[in-house]
Amino acid sequence: MKIVGSRAPATAIFAAVALTAAACSSASSGSAASSGSSASGGSILIGVPVPLSGEYASAGTDILHGAQLAAKNINASGGVLGRKIQIVGQDDACLASTGSEAAQKLVSQGIAAAAGGYCSTAAFPELEAFHRAGIPYVMDASTNPQLTEQGFAQAFRTIGRDDEQGPVAASFITSFLHAKRVAVGNDNSTYAKGLANATVSALQKDGAQVVFNNALTPGQSDYTSFLTKIGQSKPQVFYYTGYYPEFGLLLKEAKQLGLTFTMMGGDANNDPTLIKTAGSAANGAMMTTAPLAQFLSSAKSYVSAYQAAYGTGPGPYSSYEYDAVGVVAQAIKDARSAKPGSIAQALRSISYNGITGDFHFDTNGDRKPVNYIIITVKNGSFVAYKKFDYSTNQWVSLS
Amino acid sequence: MSAFLQYVVNGLTSGAFIALVALGYTMIYGVIRLINFAHGDVLMVGSFIGYELVVTLAARHWPVALVVLLALVGGMAFTGGLGMLIERVAYQPLLNSSRLAILISALGVSLALEQGAQLIFGAGFSAFPSVLPSAGFSFAGAHASYVQLGMFVISVLLMGGLYLFVHKTMAGTAMRALAMDKDAARLMGINVQRTILLTFMLGSVLAGASGVMQGMYYTEINFFMGFLIGLRAFTAAVLGGIGNIPGAMVAGLLIGLIGSFSDGYISSEWSDAIIFAVLIAVLVFKPTGLFGERVAERV
Amino acid sequence: MADSGGLRRAIPSSPQARLAARGGLTVTASAVALLLPLLVSTYAMSVAVTVVTYAILGLGLNVVVGYAGLLDLGYAAFFAIGAYTSSMLQVYVHMSFWETLPAAVVAAAVSGCIIGYPTLRLRSDYLAIVTLGFGEIVRITVTNLSVTGGPNGLYGIPPASVFGTAIVSENGLYYLGLFFLLIAVVFTGLLSRSRLGRAWRTLREDETASEAVGVPATKVKLLAYVMGAMVGALAGMFFSAQFGTIDPTTFTFVTSVTILMVVIVGGMGSIPGMILGALIVVGLPEALRPISNYRLLIFALGLIVLMLVRPQGLWPARRSRRGSFTAPPAAREAPESPAAGRPQPGSLLLAVSGLQHSFGGVKAVDDVSFDLHAGEILSIIGPNGAGKTTVFNCITGMVTPQRGTVSMRGKQSLVKMKPHKVVSLGLARTFQGVRLFEGLDVAENCLVGLAAHQGRLLSRHGLLGRTSAQDRREALRWLAFVGLADQAHMLAAELSYGDRRRLEIARSLTSRPLALLLDEPAAGTNPTEKRKLMDLVRQVRDSGVTVLLIEHDMGVVMGLSDRVIVLDQGAVIAEGPPEHVRSDPHVIDAYLGRDEREATETVGEVPRRNS
Repeated sequence: MKIVGSRAPATAIFAAVALTAAACSSASSGSAASSGSSASGGSILIGVPVPLSGEYASAGTDILHGAQLAAKNINASGGVLGRKIQIVGQDDACLASTGSEAAQKLVSQGIAAAAGGYCSTAAFPELEAFHRAGIPYVMDASTNPQLTEQGFAQAFRTIGRDDEQGPVAASFITSFLHAKRVAVGNDNSTYAKGLANATVSALQKDGAQVVFNNALTPGQSDYTSFLTKIGQSKPQVFYYTGYYPEFGLLLKEAKQLGLTFTMMGGDANNDPTLIKTAGSAANGAMMTTAPLAQFLSSAKSYVSAYQAAYGTGPGPYSSYEYDAVGVVAQAIKDARSAKPGSIAQALRSISYNGITGDFHFDTNGDRKPVNYIIITVKNGSFVAYKKFDYSTNQWVSLS
Repeated sequence: MSAFLQYVVNGLTSGAFIALVALGYTMIYGVIRLINFAHGDVLMVGSFIGYELVVTLAARHWPVALVVLLALVGGMAFTGGLGMLIERVAYQPLLNSSRLAILISALGVSLALEQGAQLIFGAGFSAFPSVLPSAGFSFAGAHASYVQLGMFVISVLLMGGLYLFVHKTMAGTAMRALAMDKDAARLMGINVQRTILLTFMLGSVLAGASGVMQGMYYTEINFFMGFLIGLRAFTAAVLGGIGNIPGAMVAGLLIGLIGSFSDGYISSEWSDAIIFAVLIAVLVFKPTGLFGERVAERV
Repeated sequence: MADSGGLRRAIPSSPQARLAARGGLTVTASAVALLLPLLVSTYAMSVAVTVVTYAILGLGLNVVVGYAGLLDLGYAAFFAIGAYTSSMLQVYVHMSFWETLPAAVVAAAVSGCIIGYPTLRLRSDYLAIVTLGFGEIVRITVTNLSVTGGPNGLYGIPPASVFGTAIVSENGLYYLGLFFLLIAVVFTGLLSRSRLGRAWRTLREDETASEAVGVPATKVKLLAYVMGAMVGALAGMFFSAQFGTIDPTTFTFVTSVTILMVVIVGGMGSIPGMILGALIVVGLPEALRPISNYRLLIFALGLIVLMLVRPQGLWPARRSRRGSFTAPPAAREAPESPAAGRPQPGSLLLAVSGLQHSFGGVKAVDDVSFDLHAGEILSIIGPNGAGKTTVFNCITGMVTPQRGTVSMRGKQSLVKMKPHKVVSLGLARTFQGVRLFEGLDVAENCLVGLAAHQGRLLSRHGLLGRTSAQDRREALRWLAFVGLADQAHMLAAELSYGDRRRLEIARSLTSRPLALLLDEPAAGTNPTEKRKLMDLVRQVRDSGVTVLLIEHDMGVVMGLSDRVIVLDQGAVIAEGPPEHVRSDPHVIDAYLGRDEREATETVGEVPRRNS
């Protein structure tokens, strides 16, 4: 480890200058873009900070696709205020520091609003940066309750909070599946752990016994021992609150181990990869999810358009992102302005009919109402299964 | 009892995969003292090559056995070449520099392979078509599939083959000589460059085989998969005594078992911490791993 | 190593010009750093804040990797511990940001001890995985515990405030970061100039040799972790104050690797290198944002190319060539020795009894006993493989003998004592193949010898102190004593072979030994050098230092020794005055009967631990 040769300040200075120059030039190009967009006539920029590199690039790419599809559809029907919507994606790598930079970059590029986000860890500094710039941020996937509880007038989300999905899952498990012994698993991510906690407390309130509650390490291929242990606790239902790559493997490996309890997943699991991974083992698996268009109405156009554009079916958050962009476009229309402040104000009082159902935002910016339905896998595809009918207090079939 | 047996079966299965990858780390470390961070990513590339082959060939309705064989051979051949290319381009010019420079170069290769794969194959997960039969059998309350058994046997055969290669052939002897003393090996007429290249090829071929097999067995692959597999395999290589081929095999199985028992009897969320704690404890008492390193210390 | 001519030409040649250029660069860089908020956008400022964070982290890891040469793949753990300690105290106990500073730094220092302690015996690659494991354990622990907020982490961490003003803007954070960066620069800069810094450099170069000249290797290594951890904690605190929320995903293996990249890309051991490294590692991916899909691929390829072109990093550490050593050479006389504590000439200094040690099946040393008396020159001779060096190793603590006793002045047993302890008791040694710290200059090599009496941490003459003028005078006197005063500023690697031998002796003498153990000092020297060497050994003895000599060269042995011990196959076969031994039939047989089949000496050399 000897260091021979002399240091070379020349290279160092060169590198520093080159970088500073790069930073300045990109910064100035950013401000140029900002002045460009504020003039009427140019496109309205919507920023999408999502992970496009690293471990979570897959989810981030799905989300960006959802945004792009939404913009395409809006533009195809004439845009808003006579202007086109343009999506600007920035990689936040699921890191706080990169997220902060991605958000600042978007601000400097002159976005009218932001719609996106995946990891809470990046969403916090992103929201902070957008809040300071007065730009509304509609989050599609970040479920940490704290995000909307900071009193920021710019914070919104199209995804429901964990504390709403959990009780629905618990109600289905106890009152429809009549399970007394339930296992709950998560992957130690913010979202999954939150949903698991909410479900566990709802289950206990509903009188079920939680016989297993633990986390797995995502990214590992082998969950057989995790499943064997669940099997040992003899549950009737296993509710997994993590994401589809692991749930697909869990379904497949549970079948291989000859385990027979009912497997159910949270709303991060309705991804076509799940069925590809699990194969026939996916049949009969159930998931809680928002009432997505694809499961409810005849409007299958979203799914087929997505499929046509990107070669795969939409990911679990593509739909929430599609609605996040949609609701922003609606707010621009309502406000008759693409000024961030006016958009934020319009979002407060909006009522939107999206592909994840009708919703508005409460005073915190949280989505209301959040409806959940149960879907299941039948012959290798997701189909709607049950929903809760509040008039009869019963779970009823969806066709 | 049946649960215990099941944990053993599960542990041995994942352990066999870990061991196969650990061999690559250990071999490469043995000859050039490099922790090859790109090794897990070479495995990932092997997985994707196997995936493309299976998808293409299965669509033409070729016999399953042939598809599996071709995918395996194709994946191994590709990663073998890739391993040699990496060695030539990114490591060989740095063999006489600081060992940290080559480590950073390895990190660069790892990141480049991940990003390249993301650009080519996409960020999402790909799932191998299920070409393999899923039938299995039970004994004493534990379940195993024939494929699982087959994969385990192939892993053990590959490891055994490697062991024989390293200990019974001229090329293997050259590798061992190089591991012990590079300069002496050179003086004895061993072509050092070629032997290093051969080691990279062999290690990468094993990674490729492992990648294709894991892909077929677990079905799900993506560009980031090499990272976690690599981490565990690297741990196994060190636990067994880095540079020590039988040590890596045993330690790989052992890590599989520890992970499995920890999932089963302690808590799955602590499993990785437990594996590392065991590793640290072992190293404190046996500073060169369970089986000691085979690399002779320079005197 | 690759270094293009163009770069060389860019470097001012005279020391004054170089100094001026360096000063100019520092002033310019500082001015740009201070005025940056006036020059660039908020986005660029947020990048700058991240650059500053990673520069601090790089400086901390640089202590471990760059100074001490210990590979650490889990440095993010200290980053995490600093961030979590500070945040938890702020959130739960409502302490202010600044009040949590000591706690965060202490928590990191303690965890530095915890990670350092079990790993001290390990070689660098094992160290790499143990540190990696430690980093993962820390991350998994904060993910699983509820007091750390689990995967959600902690939020609602108040911003840092300075004079009652909360620091929330990018510019404010940037200046706060610069303040922390300044602390880290000053702290690590002082460390690198301290005795501890020198001890780290010697450890990095040759651990065995540095222990043999009195560097307390374990303590010094542990301190590298502790000091590095403390700097990491600063970065952690700053990070939590910057974002107001922290969670485990920030402190992954990938983070550790990124920090390592900063260190290697910047140039190990160099302070400006760390800032430059952070600028590249953080700034380059940001600058590449316009080519979004390819940015990390380009970055990765750039990293490989950079290593190929400049494996030593962009701004590697300079070795110091200080002018202060070009003092006029003193007369060739030994510095006055502390009379008190010197044993009476002729009294028993070292007693070796029943020494036994084997390597595998080979008995290297078999029941060796002898005494060394103050003031004499005692030689151990014997054919190759007779076990001479192993005897030395057993005496100096490099090897623990399987049986037998070694005692100093009739009381202190040296068996199982660490090598540096043995040195501090007054036994210094040299090596058969000269082991100098090649990358250090001659004077610094000599200064290392003072470590034997400077092992304490906080005293004025302890590890954290800077090299005093007195230290320098002392080292220079010993250099003059062996005739190397004029070469004080040269790199050890640049010395001639004979001078290297002399330097090794001077280095050992600097530790003020009672006895000096010389392992084949005449090997490979020409007749002129040999004569000079013999003079030197006599001078050493005359200065009051007892000499124990291993030697092959009969001329040297016969000309110097008061007494001779002959070893063969690990056992003593003869002992007595030179002329008596010369005529001993056993000795003649051992030497003449074997001359033809001398094998190379394979057993008994000191294992080189940090190769």
